[in-house]
Amino acid sequence: MNLTKKLSLILGALVTVLALAACGSGAGTPATSASAPAASGWSYTDDTGATITLDHKPERVAGFADQVLSLLSYGVQPVAVFGRVDVKNDPRFAGYDLSQVKIVGNAYGEIDLEALAEAEPDLIVTAVYPSDREGTIDAKSPYYGLKDLEQQKKILDIAPVAAVKVGGKGLDVIESNAKLAVALGADQAKVDADRAAFATASTKLTAAAGESGLEVTVMYADADGIYLVKPEDEPQTQLYKSLGVKLTELKPEGPYYWDIYSWENAGTVMSGDIILLSVEGFQSDDLKKQATFAKHPALQAGQVFPNAYSSMDYSSQAKLMDQLAGWLTESKKV
Amino acid sequence: MSSPAFAVARRVRVDAWVLLGLALLLAVVGSLTLGSNPVAPGTVLQALLDPSTDTDAVIWGSRVPRTLLGLLVGGCLGVAGALMQGQTGNPLADPGLFGVSSGASLAVVLGAYLLGFNSMTASLFLALGGALVASVLVFGIATLSRDLANPVPLAIAGTAVTALLNAVISFLVLTNASSLEAFRVWVVGSLGGRALDALPPALALALVGLVLAFANARSLNSLTLGTELAQGLGETLWRARLVGLSAITLTTASAVALAGPIGFIGLTAPHAARALVGGNHFRLLPASGLVGAVTLLVCDTVGRVIGGGQAEVPVGVVLATLGGVAFIAIVRRTKLAAL
Repeated sequence: MNLTKKLSLILGALVTVLALAACGSGAGTPATSASAPAASGWSYTDDTGATITLDHKPERVAGFADQVLSLLSYGVQPVAVFGRVDVKNDPRFAGYDLSQVKIVGNAYGEIDLEALAEAEPDLIVTAVYPSDREGTIDAKSPYYGLKDLEQQKKILDIAPVAAVKVGGKGLDVIESNAKLAVALGADQAKVDADRAAFATASTKLTAAAGESGLEVTVMYADADGIYLVKPEDEPQTQLYKSLGVKLTELKPEGPYYWDIYSWENAGTVMSGDIILLSVEGFQSDDLKKQATFAKHPALQAGQVFPNAYSSMDYSSQAKLMDQLAGWLTESKKV
Repeated sequence: MSSPAFAVARRVRVDAWVLLGLALLLAVVGSLTLGSNPVAPGTVLQALLDPSTDTDAVIWGSRVPRTLLGLLVGGCLGVAGALMQGQTGNPLADPGLFGVSSGASLAVVLGAYLLGFNSMTASLFLALGGALVASVLVFGIATLSRDLANPVPLAIAGTAVTALLNAVISFLVLTNASSLEAFRVWVVGSLGGRALDALPPALALALVGLVLAFANARSLNSLTLGTELAQGLGETLWRARLVGLSAITLTTASAVALAGPIGFIGLTAPHAARALVGGNHFRLLPASGLVGAVTLLVCDTVGRVIGGGQAEVPVGVVLATLGGVAFIAIVRRTKLAAL
């Protein structure tokens, strides 16, 4: 890292801290174009604190599937995308036309750099995950979706990278994605309309959660046991919790993100009325084969619903919240 | 042969069997009483004697199955490793050499890709079938060389088929999310959290494999002398190969189907067993099976205990670290008995 980049990082960090201090908690601050529209040129400070300065607003944007999905939802058309799974078969892209989008990666860290360079992006967007609940971003780790720092360096040679921090408050993550979209030319009216629909869905979810009073367990499972998501550490569950959904939360402290309960200890995770089960790993039938978990009342009542990783944009999240509100209403206390 | 020397040799062997027996007993007791859920030994005993008191299903639902699984899988892999090293005359041979693991993996991936099977149960049966098909394929290719005396064509056929299968697996896994999921869940070798639907067929195949293994012991002893000498001793080479390879296939396939790919045991158990009971396959095969079972159970139990009382450390990780150290110690202390 050269001195200029170091300095710009430090400066960027300072600016972010000041900005955060200025707006208090910062949660739910409406997205307006963060880039002060200079006479010419474009500048954007991303969630890592890095400020990207270009001589024009990026017209050609490439990026990681999660961020590209958010851009698409606000009408920003990318030129290239790389995903953690096969992009063409990723159901999240189902409603979008990808014919003009070059797919340059279909597995985590496997990015065709030549194809990416050929797409001539002005900017590459991706995610960055904090390594703890304080939101620390490990500078020695590559951005999410990238194999290693070596690959990251090559990608930075193609175009600058803007990263969205996926951690902390769910609303902040959604806002950060929206802010980036607006900076890249998304129609502010579209963002505002999506935000309004999201607000309606939020109200509906809060009402459904209050009426049903059901407890929701968000988990992943495999041969090692149950991975119980910590609601405060995962942005989407944090959002649901803040909207009044009762979530299984056994140990808010301790290891970041989730606690692992071996199958011997599966009896500890029995309190939920609804299980939101990751679509990866063990599914309902596999769970029923685990003698120590088979008696779970929600499992027996068939109140297990799929939890697929979704894009953190207003319209996708509103859809998910409507779905969850429906599940809360149709399920019963067990 | 002078009788005192013979007596000493016998005593050493008797000691070795006593040692192995005790180790097995301790490993089983440890596997039943220790775990990530601190159940008091008294409660464990009560639950074992009266299953109705095991309300959380920890003992009968988790520890008993994984102990039985450990015994069967570890034993099968130990025996298969000794067979494989004897058949190929290669001390670094591993039961996975015949493409058994990759055949099983490919079947799991194909099942998810073509038929949409994603459950653990489906994976078990697919793995069993895939393992069998892959080793028949390897054996078929090797017999085309018409040079059964030489273990090299077998090893090459095995390596080639493994490479081919792995390439197909990578291709499918990279292009299809559902096969990736099925593969990712299955490919982690473990004793805990396994569905046991495939236990009866796997057990039956394993037993046939073990019987064939012992039927192969005499031939393996002759083969140790070199294939020409073995033929001079009246050994029918194709039969010796066929019986041995069927035994390897059946034992490894059942182990892989039940617990996923578990490395290291097939490679190292025979060496430890050889140091204990010598190179005679009538003793080496059962001893290697016992060492395999003890090693797998102990490593599984250690993984449960060092996890800190809530999560566990996967047995593969414990095997690689603890087993690696133990193996180096064996190599350092005893000259590896020549095959």
